[in-house]
Amino acid sequence: MTAKISVKNLNVSYGDYVVMSGISFDVQQGEVFLVIGRSGCGKSSLLKYLMGLRSVDSGTIFYDGKDITSEVAHDFYGKKIGVLYQSGALWSSMTLAENVALPLEMYTPLDKDEINEIATLKLSLVGLKGFENFYPSQISGGMKKRAGLARAIALDPEILFFDEPSAGLDPLSAKRLDDLIIELRESFGMTIVVVTHELASIFAIGTRAIYLDIDTKTATALGSPRELLETSRDKNVMAFLTRGTKEIE
Amino acid sequence: MAAVAELKFTSGNVAQVTISGSWSLREKSPHLKRCEDGIRSKASIGGIAIRADNLEAWDSSLINFLVKILKICESKKLKVDVGGMPNGIQKLLNLAMIQTDGELESREEKTKTPLMFLQTCLSIAFLRWKNLVQFFGETCIGFATFFRGKAHVRAREFLVIVQEVSVKALPIVALISFLVGLIIAFISVLQLAQFGAAIYVADLVGIAMMREMGCIMTGVIMSGRTGAAFAATIGTMVVNDEVDALKTTGISNTDFLVLPRIFALTLTMPFLCMFSSFIGILGGMCASIFKTDLTIIQYCTQTVNAIYINDFFVGIVKGGFFGLLIATIGCLKGLECGHSAEDVGLATTSAVVTSITAIITADAMFAMLFSSLGV
Ligand SMILES: Nc1ncnc2c1ncn2[C@@H]1O[C@H](COP(=O)(O)OP(=O)(O)OP(=O)(O)O)[C@@H](O)[C@H]1O
Ligand SMILES: [Mg+2]
Repeated sequence: MTAKISVKNLNVSYGDYVVMSGISFDVQQGEVFLVIGRSGCGKSSLLKYLMGLRSVDSGTIFYDGKDITSEVAHDFYGKKIGVLYQSGALWSSMTLAENVALPLEMYTPLDKDEINEIATLKLSLVGLKGFENFYPSQISGGMKKRAGLARAIALDPEILFFDEPSAGLDPLSAKRLDDLIIELRESFGMTIVVVTHELASIFAIGTRAIYLDIDTKTATALGSPRELLETSRDKNVMAFLTRGTKEIE
Repeated sequence: MAAVAELKFTSGNVAQVTISGSWSLREKSPHLKRCEDGIRSKASIGGIAIRADNLEAWDSSLINFLVKILKICESKKLKVDVGGMPNGIQKLLNLAMIQTDGELESREEKTKTPLMFLQTCLSIAFLRWKNLVQFFGETCIGFATFFRGKAHVRAREFLVIVQEVSVKALPIVALISFLVGLIIAFISVLQLAQFGAAIYVADLVGIAMMREMGCIMTGVIMSGRTGAAFAATIGTMVVNDEVDALKTTGISNTDFLVLPRIFALTLTMPFLCMFSSFIGILGGMCASIFKTDLTIIQYCTQTVNAIYINDFFVGIVKGGFFGLLIATIGCLKGLECGHSAEDVGLATTSAVVTSITAIITADAMFAMLFSSLGV
């Protein structure tokens, strides 16, 4: 079976400054794949490459076996991938319902009423029922994030990218979001790539994780979070997964 | 009691720094110089002990002072014992002295040879040109898809922008144009009256406003008002990742951001220019009636006789073109914006300056074109 996403020898860099080098991994269909690592190790940047927002200097990225580094397929955006940005990135001139409805208007033949119903449905999935007519500037940071998620799943994309979904959420909302991620994976069979720092989430939702090490500037561990916790011999990985409480000599 | 730091040499080869008094950021800390000189002057000391004696109160000023001493000792490879300080201070000192891990050094600017500098400049220039060409290409494709009826330009977005650039701009355009007309009339009436030709003020004001001043003044106002607003709005969207979000949702930012703005401004600018010309003529009329014994009827008749249909078209064509320029530059600068609040400011400034320059340059070219065509 070809992997949903396959990354070969990718370098993450800004001009001359190399953030990470030689990253390789596969994401299989229906996985919740985590990208973890210390702040500033290049997780958000890696995600930008995967989403085709930055052009790749060195390395290759395949989606379903097709190389996207030179050219992305015309249906790549919108139908294939959905993205939740670190800050939500809602379009500020539109209400929440319009934010969710816009991709539907673009890509579905549905009529206005149906689109509105679906927008309301998606908003209620993330716990924002009743906020349809609010503007992004009128809601809190955590709510923006959830609305951003509603927009990301508007078209039921095949692959979802989350940049720190639970940062800035209260523990209960974070838990709900984790449940939603698991639900999306199980019911829709979505492939989900998540950047996260949240230890609780890491163990609750992740099927596999890649650890980007800020010291060596490479990926130093790949496997299921439990596996990493139990078997990893790398002291940075262990410190990360145990909040520095367990040391490896 | 004021803050005091005293350096004493005790028996053995250990120096002792005693800290006492009340340390506060709001007052000057004791001079480091005395301690520093003391530490540096003795070649024989093997270590330094810092202890608190009668320390009444302290804040970051003390930590800062101690860090400086620790650094001096570090450079002289002296052992320092802070065991005699309160626990809190010891912990803060530990935090302050931790090195940032390897991360930083690789980011330090490497010294550049002139050749490397040239290379960087060229690659930046190349990138900007590439962006420019790409932007124009995408905009042209956007136009083409729009006229084939396939672009997703949202009517509501367009109407909101139209309202913003038309009705809401009228008062300021009216005010400035009225004054410009008034000024032209005032200076010319004095000159023309000397030859008994005051009536020709009407010709002068009419043609000047219709052909040149109406368009230029409206262009300058709209650059400052609307061009800047376009750049700032789109720039802020870049900062908030909203533009990336458009792309990953599969919505072309040409369709969504650029086309509505270009259409709105290109379509409304001719009307604004005409409006400006009429108000300018009105201003000229007020000045003339005030300064000479012309009547309203005389002035109007003279104006109507002076202006040809050509002048009217010149104004409309130029107005539309200026609108196109302002909107394009505003959108381009917004989309090129970097990722910080400061970049938005730069993008906005650059949009205004570039638009005004472009308008004046274009106007000069139009002047040459029209005169060679005899329009
Ligand atoms: N536009 C940029 N230009 C230059 N360097 C950048 C830029 N954006 C990010 N970086 C650098 O790239 C590195 C990785 O940044 P990135 O935002 O990907 O980190 P991250 O892993 O997502 O961190 P966090 O967990 O804090 O969000 C950082 O060292 C940062 O300084
Ligand atoms: Mg990040």
